[in-house]
Parts: sequence; C-alpha cells; structure tokens
Amino acid sequence: MEIRFADCSVRYGETVALQPLDLTLTERRIGVIGLNGSGKTSFARAINGLVKPSQGRVTVNGLDTVADGPAVLGTVGFIFQNPQNQLILPIVADDIALGLKSRGVGKAEVADRVAAILARFGIAHLARRRVHALSGGETQLVAMASVLVSAPDILILDEPTNQLDLKNRKRVIDTLEGLEEAAIVVSHDLSLIERFGRVLLFHEGRLIADGAPGDVVKAYEAVALC
Amino acid sequence: MLRSLHIDGATPLHRLSVRIKLAGLFLASLAIFLTGSPLLLGGAAVLSALVLASVGMSFSEAGSRLFWPFVSIAIVAVATGVFEAPLQGLVVLLRFATLILLAAAVTASTEVGDFMEEITVLMLPFERLGLVNAADIGLALGLVLRFVPEIATRYESLRDAHAARGLPVRPLKMLAPLIILTLKDADMIAMAIDARGLRRQ
Repeated sequence: MEIRFADCSVRYGETVALQPLDLTLTERRIGVIGLNGSGKTSFARAINGLVKPSQGRVTVNGLDTVADGPAVLGTVGFIFQNPQNQLILPIVADDIALGLKSRGVGKAEVADRVAAILARFGIAHLARRRVHALSGGETQLVAMASVLVSAPDILILDEPTNQLDLKNRKRVIDTLEGLEEAAIVVSHDLSLIERFGRVLLFHEGRLIADGAPGDVVKAYEAVALC
Repeated sequence: MLRSLHIDGATPLHRLSVRIKLAGLFLASLAIFLTGSPLLLGGAAVLSALVLASVGMSFSEAGSRLFWPFVSIAIVAVATGVFEAPLQGLVVLLRFATLILLAAAVTASTEVGDFMEEITVLMLPFERLGLVNAADIGLALGLVLRFVPEIATRYESLRDAHAARGLPVRPLKMLAPLIILTLKDADMIAMAIDARGLRRQ
C-alpha cells in the first residue's frame, strides 16, 4: 500500500480544514488522532476521494483520487462514524450483497462472497437479521463486512469504537487486529492505536506529529491538556 | 431505534412475487378510476382493508402508519364535497382510501431489496432509451423505504428531548430541527453511498 499526499490542502469555502500536506503512508496500521475539528476527518476522506483536494493531489497505489475516482473507491473502503447510515438495506446479507450487485457481480458469486465474509467476521448468524435490531458492535462488524466484501486493499475507519460498550469495543478491536487489509483508523480512543505502526496527530488543520504511538500520544496530551 | 415498513411474515401476499403485486396495484388503481359508484368503491375499500389485515399488521400499527395519509385525503374529500358535491367527496375518499390501503399492504409484505431489484428491472427499457439510470431509480426507491421511517424515530427523539427539558411539545416547533437533522443525515447517507460505490459512475 502507498498513499501519497502531494502539497494537498482541503478548504470548505474560507475555512481551511487541512493545510498543505506532503506525506507518504505505507504502514499496515495507521492511527489518526487530534482534537475535534483538527482536520483528521478531512484527511481521511481525502484518501478515498470523498473530499477533493483544493490544491495538490492525493494518490493511492498510484491512482489519483480525482482522476481515477471510481478505481480509488474500489481500493479504499470507508466506515463512517455512524455505521447505521451506511447500511442501506434492512437485512444484513442483502446489504452486504448490495455493493457486489451494483458492480455487476453474478448472483452465485455474490452469494458465495457474502457467505464467506460473514463467516470471516464470525457473524454468519446475523445474515437474515434486520440492521435496526443489531447491537452497536454488530452494526460496526456488519458495516466492515459490507465494505470488505468488495475486496478493497485499504480500510478507513472513522471512530470505530465510538459509543460502544466494553464488550463490543473488544470485539471490534479484535476484528481490526485480525484484518488482512491495511487500516487507517481515526480515533479518540488512544488505547486502540497504541499498537499501530504509525500515528499522525493533527491540530488546527496541520500535521504536527508523526511517528510511533507513544511519542505522538505524548504530543497530543501536550496539545490537548495545555 | 430504527424501524422498517416491512412486516415479517409468510402470508400469501408475502409469498407473491413483487412484479405481480406491483402489477396488481397498478391495475387496481386504474380500475377504481373507471367507476364512480360509491357502492363499488366502498366494497373495494373494505376489500383493501382486508388485504392489509391479511399481512399481519395490527390495527394500531396500521392506524399509526396511515393516520396522516388519511388526514390528507379527508381534507381533499371534504373540500371536494363542499365545492363540488357531497357524493363526489365520498367517491374521492373511497378511491384514495383503497389506494392507500393496498399500497400499504404491498409495502408491508415486500422487502426493500426485492422492491429495488424489481424497479431496476422495470426501468431497464427506459435506460436503453437513454432516459434514466435504472439502478439509480431502484436505489432511490430503496432509500425512501429504508430511511423515511427514521424520520419518525428522529421526531420521537426530539420530542423526548423537549419533554426532558420541561419544554412544551409542539409539533410545529420541532419542524425546523427535524428538517435540519434529516438533511444532515441525508448528506451522510449520500456520502456513504459514494464511499461504497453503490451508484454507477
């Protein structure tokens, strides 16, 4: 995996959400931390092209997020802060199948891949359940399955343990640790990112620390608690 | 808590194919406009109510789902009765009541995914003519059926928040925050659809 930000900035009108950034990411597990409104979500969304750079460019495995938008969406999966909003169909298996069907995958292959991803996440028993009846942890796992069934290389998760109880938090963290795909996790949950290969700290739209979790968390505490 | 317009069950209407249900609804809607007989329309309305009851929807659930649609048609019917003729008002009431009851029965007995697939297939001829994107229409319908019930959930949250703060619960006062919350969620849902690559590029 290689994600490259080349002089990339993001603006919303007059507001600069992300200051010009040059950065290359190759690690399998990357954490993104920072105070609310620090630019970390804009950074994450710029990676899969949900947010277009106001200047510069972002490439993922050589694909430009603007010029090669559809290919980038196939390479980078995204799980939102509220995963309920990304589950479109009311039945778990139907929702997981939706992404494959919209890509024109045949019925038999769709069924096989849905069964395989449900088994991989240990949630085969949820296949015919209604998404509104799932617990927070189950919803998060189903959202991950619905994205990973399309086989992206990279998964971005925005606050995956937000509002989860201890049991569901552990379940999501265990699943995350077992993922074969590269993962970029935006989180306020500092214990979640402590075993990651690299952590980025954003503050007021700037990347102000980049390195091992321990050092970056110390920098974060210095910024947040000053 | 999220809700669903679909009601789980294995009734004859649940087992019927979506295509036949939609065709039946279409033909019924044509038929009730071919007659102006209050007697025939009354019979059709009663029959529709029985069809709705057959899918396993409780009376209170049906009342809660159909209250506002019935208020709307009652207003139209009363206006028609006042400005045209009372009998004409009754005809309007019975016609739309029949339609609403039948549509509610079809919605309650059909999964959103099945609706989406069928609508997409039905739209394919128009796509071949270059008029529409069939998959997008199917997706739009699915989104309406999946997320519209959540507006009611959001309204309930707002109502509870007002009550918790000791504020009087006035539906009109909650309209603005309800619209804002709904639009914010719609924005997130649109972004999620893009992120999952569900729309044809």
